[in-house]
Amino acid sequence: MRVAFVGKGGAGKSVIAGTFARLLGASGERVLALDSDPMPGLAFSLGLDPATLGDAGIPDEATVPAPDGERPPYRLRPGLSGPDAVCRYAVQGPDGVRFLQLGKSRGHRGGSNRGHWAYQQILEDLPGDDWSVVGDLPGGTRQPFYGWGRFADVVVVVAEPTASSMLSARRLAGLARPGVEVVAVASKTRAAQDAATVAARAGLPLRGAVPYDPAVAAAERAGRAVLDTHPAADAVTAIRSLVDRLRAAEMCA
Amino acid sequence: MKVAIVGKGGSGKTTTAAVLARTLARRGLSVTALDCDSNPNLGISIGLGEQVTERLVAVRQAVGDGDTEHAQDATELLDRFGTRGPDGIRFAVVTEIQNPEPGCP
Repeated sequence: MRVAFVGKGGAGKSVIAGTFARLLGASGERVLALDSDPMPGLAFSLGLDPATLGDAGIPDEATVPAPDGERPPYRLRPGLSGPDAVCRYAVQGPDGVRFLQLGKSRGHRGGSNRGHWAYQQILEDLPGDDWSVVGDLPGGTRQPFYGWGRFADVVVVVAEPTASSMLSARRLAGLARPGVEVVAVASKTRAAQDAATVAARAGLPLRGAVPYDPAVAAAERAGRAVLDTHPAADAVTAIRSLVDRLRAAEMCA
Repeated sequence: MKVAIVGKGGSGKTTTAAVLARTLARRGLSVTALDCDSNPNLGISIGLGEQVTERLVAVRQAVGDGDTEHAQDATELLDRFGTRGPDGIRFAVVTEIQNPEPGCP
Protein backbone atom coordinates (compact mmCIF):
# COMPACT_ATOMS: atom_id res chain seq x y z
CA MET A 1 0.00 0.00 0.00
CA ARG A 2 1.31 3.45 -0.91
CA VAL A 3 -0.59 6.17 0.89
CA ALA A 4 -0.07 9.92 1.21
CA PHE A 5 -1.84 12.00 3.85
CA VAL A 6 -2.64 15.58 2.86
CA GLY A 7 -4.83 18.35 4.25
CA LYS A 8 -4.84 21.72 5.91
CA GLY A 9 -2.28 22.45 8.60
CA GLY A 10 -3.42 21.15 11.95
CA ALA A 11 -6.01 18.76 10.52
CA GLY A 12 -4.30 15.77 12.12
CA LYS A 13 -2.27 14.38 9.21
CA SER A 14 0.80 13.49 11.25
CA VAL A 15 -1.08 11.78 14.06
CA ILE A 16 -3.11 9.73 11.61
CA ALA A 17 -0.16 8.95 9.29
CA GLY A 18 2.17 7.98 12.14
CA THR A 19 -0.38 5.76 13.85
CA PHE A 20 -1.37 4.27 10.49
CA ALA A 21 2.26 3.42 9.68
CA ARG A 22 2.80 1.79 13.09
CA LEU A 23 -0.35 -0.31 12.80
CA LEU A 24 0.79 -1.54 9.38
CA GLY A 25 4.21 -2.32 10.84
CA ALA A 26 2.71 -4.15 13.83
CA SER A 27 0.75 -6.35 11.44
CA GLY A 28 4.01 -7.55 9.90
CA GLU A 29 4.34 -5.28 6.87
CA ARG A 30 7.59 -3.63 5.88
CA VAL A 31 6.79 0.04 6.18
CA LEU A 32 8.58 3.16 5.09
CA ALA A 33 7.20 6.33 6.70
CA LEU A 34 8.07 9.55 4.89
CA ASP A 35 7.88 13.01 6.42
CA SER A 36 7.89 15.47 3.51
CA ASP A 37 7.23 18.53 5.65
CA PRO A 38 10.13 20.99 5.87
CA MET A 39 8.76 21.59 9.37
CA PRO A 40 8.66 17.94 10.32
CA GLY A 41 6.37 16.44 12.95
CA LEU A 42 5.77 12.82 12.00
CA ALA A 43 8.52 11.47 14.29
CA PHE A 44 6.44 12.20 17.40
CA SER A 45 3.46 10.14 16.33
CA LEU A 46 5.74 7.29 15.21
CA GLY A 47 7.08 7.14 18.75
CA LEU A 48 10.54 8.46 17.93
CA ASP A 49 12.15 11.14 20.03
CA PRO A 50 13.22 13.95 17.69
CA ALA A 51 15.79 15.11 20.26
CA THR A 52 17.81 11.90 19.88
CA LEU A 53 16.75 11.16 16.31
CA GLY A 54 19.09 13.50 14.47
CA ASP A 55 17.99 14.64 11.05
CA ALA A 56 16.78 11.28 9.65
CA GLY A 57 17.27 12.98 6.31
CA ILE A 58 19.74 12.50 3.47
CA PRO A 59 23.18 13.84 4.48
CA ASP A 60 25.03 16.11 2.10
CA GLU A 61 27.79 13.51 1.60
CA ALA A 62 25.26 11.14 -0.01
CA THR A 63 24.80 13.65 -2.83
CA VAL A 64 26.90 14.99 -5.68
CA PRO A 65 26.43 18.18 -7.69
CA ALA A 66 25.03 17.71 -11.20
CA PRO A 67 27.18 18.77 -14.16
CA ASP A 68 26.98 22.50 -14.87
CA GLY A 69 23.53 23.68 -15.89
CA GLU A 70 21.79 20.34 -15.42
CA ARG A 71 18.66 19.94 -13.32
CA PRO A 72 18.20 18.88 -10.62
CA PRO A 73 21.34 20.56 -9.30
CA TYR A 74 22.09 17.71 -6.86
CA ARG A 75 21.53 13.95 -7.01
CA LEU A 76 22.39 10.81 -5.08
CA ARG A 77 26.03 9.89 -5.53
CA PRO A 78 26.77 7.28 -8.23
CA GLY A 79 26.12 3.73 -7.02
CA LEU A 80 23.59 4.82 -4.38
CA SER A 81 20.05 3.89 -5.49
CA GLY A 82 16.85 5.05 -3.83
CA PRO A 83 16.37 1.72 -1.97
CA ASP A 84 20.07 1.83 -0.93
CA ALA A 85 19.54 5.30 0.50
CA VAL A 86 16.42 4.16 2.37
CA CYS A 87 18.33 1.22 3.91
CA ARG A 88 21.20 3.43 4.84
CA TYR A 89 19.59 6.62 6.07
CA ALA A 90 16.08 5.68 7.22
CA VAL A 91 15.85 5.31 10.99
CA GLN A 92 14.10 2.29 12.47
CA GLY A 93 11.35 3.08 14.95
CA PRO A 94 8.81 1.13 17.00
CA ASP A 95 6.94 -1.70 15.23
CA GLY A 96 9.80 -1.89 12.73
CA VAL A 97 8.73 1.22 10.81
CA ARG A 98 11.54 2.80 8.79
CA PHE A 99 11.47 6.56 8.91
CA LEU A 100 12.96 9.02 6.46
CA GLN A 101 12.40 12.75 6.38
CA LEU A 102 12.91 15.46 3.82
CA GLY A 103 14.93 17.30 6.40
CA LYS A 104 14.45 20.66 7.96
CA SER A 105 14.65 23.73 5.80
CA ARG A 106 18.00 25.39 6.19
CA GLY A 107 18.58 28.86 4.89
CA HIS A 108 16.24 30.79 2.67
CA ARG A 109 16.77 28.94 -0.59
CA GLY A 110 15.28 25.49 -1.11
CA GLY A 111 17.87 24.71 -3.76
CA SER A 112 20.70 25.13 -1.27
CA ASN A 113 19.57 22.04 0.59
CA ARG A 114 21.21 19.11 -1.20
CA GLY A 115 19.29 16.49 0.77
CA HIS A 116 15.96 17.84 -0.45
CA TRP A 117 16.92 17.07 -4.04
CA ALA A 118 18.09 13.59 -3.07
CA TYR A 119 14.81 13.03 -1.26
CA GLN A 120 12.91 13.88 -4.46
CA GLN A 121 15.04 11.35 -6.32
CA ILE A 122 14.26 8.67 -3.73
CA LEU A 123 10.52 9.27 -4.28
CA GLU A 124 11.11 8.26 -7.93
CA ASP A 125 13.00 5.12 -6.89
CA LEU A 126 11.37 3.72 -3.75
CA PRO A 127 11.81 0.16 -2.47
CA GLY A 128 9.63 -2.42 -4.25
CA ASP A 129 6.10 -3.69 -3.81
CA ASP A 130 6.98 -5.69 -0.71
CA TRP A 131 7.13 -2.35 1.12
CA SER A 132 4.25 -0.18 2.20
CA VAL A 133 4.89 3.53 2.00
CA VAL A 134 3.09 6.06 4.21
CA GLY A 135 3.73 9.74 3.48
CA ASP A 136 2.94 12.73 5.68
CA LEU A 137 2.84 15.75 3.40
CA PRO A 138 3.16 19.44 4.30
CA GLY A 139 -0.03 21.21 5.27
CA GLY A 140 -1.93 22.96 2.55
CA THR A 141 -1.84 22.52 -1.18
CA ARG A 142 1.87 22.36 -1.85
CA GLN A 143 2.92 19.47 -4.08
CA PRO A 144 0.19 17.05 -3.04
CA PHE A 145 0.04 15.03 -6.25
CA TYR A 146 2.99 15.81 -8.53
CA GLY A 147 5.72 16.52 -6.02
CA TRP A 148 5.95 14.96 -2.60
CA GLY A 149 2.80 12.88 -3.09
CA ARG A 150 3.56 11.38 -6.47
CA PHE A 151 4.48 7.93 -5.08
CA ALA A 152 0.95 7.39 -3.72
CA ASP A 153 -1.71 5.08 -5.12
CA VAL A 154 -4.14 6.46 -2.56
CA VAL A 155 -4.18 10.04 -1.32
CA VAL A 156 -6.05 10.53 1.93
CA VAL A 157 -7.34 14.06 2.44
CA VAL A 158 -7.62 14.69 6.17
CA ALA A 159 -10.14 17.37 7.09
CA GLU A 160 -11.73 18.73 10.23
CA PRO A 161 -15.37 19.82 10.17
CA THR A 162 -14.32 23.49 9.95
CA ALA A 163 -14.95 25.82 6.99
CA SER A 164 -11.28 26.35 6.14
CA SER A 165 -10.30 22.69 6.58
CA MET A 166 -13.13 21.48 4.35
CA LEU A 167 -12.41 24.22 1.80
CA SER A 168 -8.77 23.08 1.73
CA ALA A 169 -9.96 19.51 1.20
CA ARG A 170 -12.05 20.58 -1.77
CA ARG A 171 -9.12 22.49 -3.26
CA LEU A 172 -6.94 19.40 -2.82
CA ALA A 173 -9.57 17.19 -4.47
CA GLY A 174 -9.50 19.57 -7.44
CA LEU A 175 -5.73 19.23 -7.86
CA ALA A 176 -5.77 15.42 -8.11
CA ARG A 177 -3.65 13.71 -10.73
CA PRO A 178 -5.55 11.27 -12.98
CA GLY A 179 -5.21 7.64 -11.91
CA VAL A 180 -4.73 8.27 -8.22
CA GLU A 181 -7.50 7.41 -5.78
CA VAL A 182 -8.42 10.35 -3.57
CA VAL A 183 -10.47 9.75 -0.43
CA ALA A 184 -11.46 11.73 2.65
CA VAL A 185 -10.96 11.04 6.33
CA ALA A 186 -12.84 13.25 8.74
CA SER A 187 -10.72 14.32 11.68
CA LYS A 188 -11.57 15.62 15.15
CA THR A 189 -15.25 14.85 14.65
CA ARG A 190 -17.54 15.60 17.59
CA ALA A 191 -21.09 15.36 16.24
CA ALA A 192 -22.71 12.42 14.48
CA GLN A 193 -23.10 14.24 11.17
CA ASP A 194 -19.55 15.69 11.08
CA ALA A 195 -18.06 12.91 8.94
CA ALA A 196 -20.80 13.09 6.33
CA THR A 197 -20.48 16.89 6.23
CA VAL A 198 -16.73 16.67 5.63
CA ALA A 199 -17.16 14.16 2.81
CA ALA A 200 -19.90 16.20 1.15
CA ARG A 201 -18.04 19.52 1.39
CA ALA A 202 -14.80 17.94 0.19
CA GLY A 203 -16.64 16.14 -2.60
CA LEU A 204 -14.77 12.93 -1.82
CA PRO A 205 -15.70 9.40 -0.75
CA LEU A 206 -15.38 8.94 3.01
CA ARG A 207 -13.03 6.22 4.26
CA GLY A 208 -13.06 6.95 7.96
CA ALA A 209 -13.72 9.33 10.81
CA VAL A 210 -11.22 9.91 13.59
CA PRO A 211 -13.05 11.47 16.53
CA TYR A 212 -11.79 14.38 18.58
CA ASP A 213 -9.94 12.57 21.35
CA PRO A 214 -8.39 14.16 24.46
CA ALA A 215 -5.90 11.27 24.46
CA VAL A 216 -4.46 12.58 21.17
CA ALA A 217 -4.24 16.11 22.55
CA ALA A 218 -2.45 14.83 25.65
CA ALA A 219 0.00 12.75 23.59
CA GLU A 220 0.74 15.73 21.31
CA ARG A 221 1.43 17.96 24.30
CA ALA A 222 3.83 15.37 25.66
CA GLY A 223 5.48 14.91 22.25
CA ARG A 224 4.70 11.21 22.25
CA ALA A 225 2.81 8.75 20.08
CA VAL A 226 -0.81 8.25 21.10
CA LEU A 227 -0.27 4.58 20.30
CA ASP A 228 2.25 4.47 23.16
CA THR A 229 0.44 6.67 25.67
CA HIS A 230 -3.17 5.55 25.05
CA PRO A 231 -3.19 2.44 22.82
CA ALA A 232 -6.91 1.86 23.37
CA ALA A 233 -7.94 5.45 22.59
CA ASP A 234 -10.97 5.98 20.36
CA ALA A 235 -8.81 7.75 17.79
CA VAL A 236 -6.46 4.73 17.57
CA THR A 237 -9.43 2.41 17.11
CA ALA A 238 -10.69 4.65 14.29
CA ILE A 239 -7.29 4.65 12.57
CA ARG A 240 -7.19 0.85 12.87
CA SER A 241 -10.54 0.76 11.02
CA LEU A 242 -9.04 3.04 8.37
CA VAL A 243 -6.17 0.58 7.86
CA ASP A 244 -8.68 -2.25 7.42
CA ARG A 245 -10.84 -0.28 4.99
CA LEU A 246 -7.92 0.82 2.80
CA ARG A 247 -6.61 -2.75 2.79
CA ALA A 248 -10.01 -4.09 1.76
CA ALA A 249 -10.28 -1.47 -0.98
CA GLU A 250 -6.79 -2.33 -2.22
CA MET A 251 -7.64 -6.02 -2.47
CA CYS A 252 -10.72 -5.26 -4.54
CA ALA A 253 -8.92 -2.76 -6.80
CA MET B 1 3.84 48.73 11.05
CA LYS B 2 4.39 45.69 8.82
CA VAL B 3 3.83 42.32 10.48
CA ALA B 4 4.33 38.81 9.10
CA ILE B 5 2.83 35.86 10.95
CA VAL B 6 4.69 32.55 10.56
CA GLY B 7 4.65 29.16 12.29
CA LYS B 8 3.95 25.47 11.89
CA GLY B 9 0.77 24.29 10.19
CA GLY B 10 -2.22 24.33 12.49
CA SER B 11 -0.62 26.52 15.12
CA GLY B 12 -3.06 29.40 14.56
CA LYS B 13 -1.30 31.76 12.12
CA THR B 14 -4.40 32.59 10.11
CA THR B 15 -6.63 33.18 13.13
CA THR B 16 -3.96 35.35 14.78
CA ALA B 17 -3.44 37.38 11.62
CA ALA B 18 -7.18 37.93 11.13
CA VAL B 19 -7.86 39.02 14.70
CA LEU B 20 -4.79 41.26 14.70
CA ALA B 21 -5.83 42.90 11.42
CA ARG B 22 -9.40 43.56 12.56
CA THR B 23 -8.32 44.78 16.00
CA LEU B 24 -5.90 47.29 14.48
CA ALA B 25 -8.59 48.43 12.04
CA ARG B 26 -11.08 48.92 14.88
CA ARG B 27 -8.53 51.11 16.62
CA GLY B 28 -8.58 53.39 13.60
CA LEU B 29 -5.51 52.23 11.71
CA SER B 30 -5.58 51.74 7.97
CA VAL B 31 -4.98 47.99 7.54
CA THR B 32 -4.05 45.87 4.54
CA ALA B 33 -4.21 42.11 5.09
CA LEU B 34 -2.34 39.89 2.65
CA ASP B 35 -2.77 36.13 2.41
CA CYS B 36 0.66 34.75 1.49
CA ASP B 37 -0.23 31.12 2.24
CA SER B 38 -0.25 28.74 -0.73
CA ASN B 39 -3.52 27.44 0.74
CA PRO B 40 -5.22 30.80 1.28
CA ASN B 41 -7.87 30.81 4.01
CA LEU B 42 -7.32 34.22 5.60
CA GLY B 43 -10.43 35.62 3.90
CA ILE B 44 -12.59 33.19 5.86
CA SER B 45 -11.00 34.13 9.19
CA ILE B 46 -11.32 37.84 8.45
CA GLY B 47 -15.03 37.31 7.95
CA LEU B 48 -15.37 37.65 4.19
CA GLY B 49 -16.91 34.20 3.82
CA GLU B 50 -16.06 31.29 1.59
CA GLN B 51 -17.47 32.64 -1.69
CA VAL B 52 -15.55 35.92 -1.63
CA THR B 53 -12.39 34.11 -0.53
CA GLU B 54 -12.65 31.64 -3.39
CA ARG B 55 -13.36 34.45 -5.87
CA LEU B 56 -10.14 36.22 -4.84
CA VAL B 57 -8.25 32.93 -5.09
CA ALA B 58 -9.62 32.49 -8.62
CA VAL B 59 -8.61 36.04 -9.53
CA ARG B 60 -5.06 35.34 -8.33
CA GLN B 61 -5.06 32.07 -10.27
CA ALA B 62 -6.04 33.90 -13.46
CA VAL B 63 -3.01 36.19 -13.07
CA GLY B 64 -0.77 33.15 -12.52
CA ASP B 65 -2.21 31.40 -15.57
CA GLY B 66 -1.59 34.48 -17.72
CA ASP B 67 -5.31 35.03 -18.35
CA THR B 68 -5.21 38.42 -16.65
CA GLU B 69 -2.62 41.17 -16.91
CA HIS B 70 -0.61 41.70 -13.76
CA ALA B 71 -0.97 44.97 -11.87
CA GLN B 72 1.71 47.62 -12.33
CA ASP B 73 2.18 48.39 -8.66
CA ALA B 74 0.98 47.43 -5.20
CA THR B 75 -1.82 50.01 -5.06
CA GLU B 76 -3.23 48.92 -8.40
CA LEU B 77 -2.89 45.30 -7.32
CA LEU B 78 -4.99 45.91 -4.23
CA ASP B 79 -7.57 47.91 -6.17
CA ARG B 80 -7.97 45.39 -8.97
CA PHE B 81 -7.46 42.07 -7.23
CA GLY B 82 -8.36 42.87 -3.64
CA THR B 83 -11.51 43.72 -1.79
CA ARG B 84 -12.74 45.57 1.29
CA GLY B 85 -13.47 43.47 4.33
CA PRO B 86 -15.07 44.02 7.73
CA ASP B 87 -13.82 47.03 9.73
CA GLY B 88 -12.59 48.57 6.46
CA ILE B 89 -9.66 46.18 6.00
CA ARG B 90 -8.17 46.00 2.51
CA PHE B 91 -7.53 42.39 1.63
CA ALA B 92 -5.84 40.52 -1.21
CA VAL B 93 -4.66 37.00 -1.96
CA VAL B 94 -0.97 37.17 -2.89
CA THR B 95 -0.01 33.54 -3.52
CA GLU B 96 -1.63 31.09 -5.86
CA ILE B 97 -2.39 27.45 -5.24
CA GLN B 98 0.46 25.49 -6.75
CA ASN B 99 0.63 21.93 -7.94
CA PRO B 100 4.06 21.87 -9.52
CA GLU B 101 5.56 19.21 -11.70
CA PRO B 102 8.51 17.24 -10.25
CA GLY B 103 11.81 19.07 -10.10
CA CYS B 104 10.88 21.64 -7.48
CA PRO B 105 11.98 20.65 -3.99
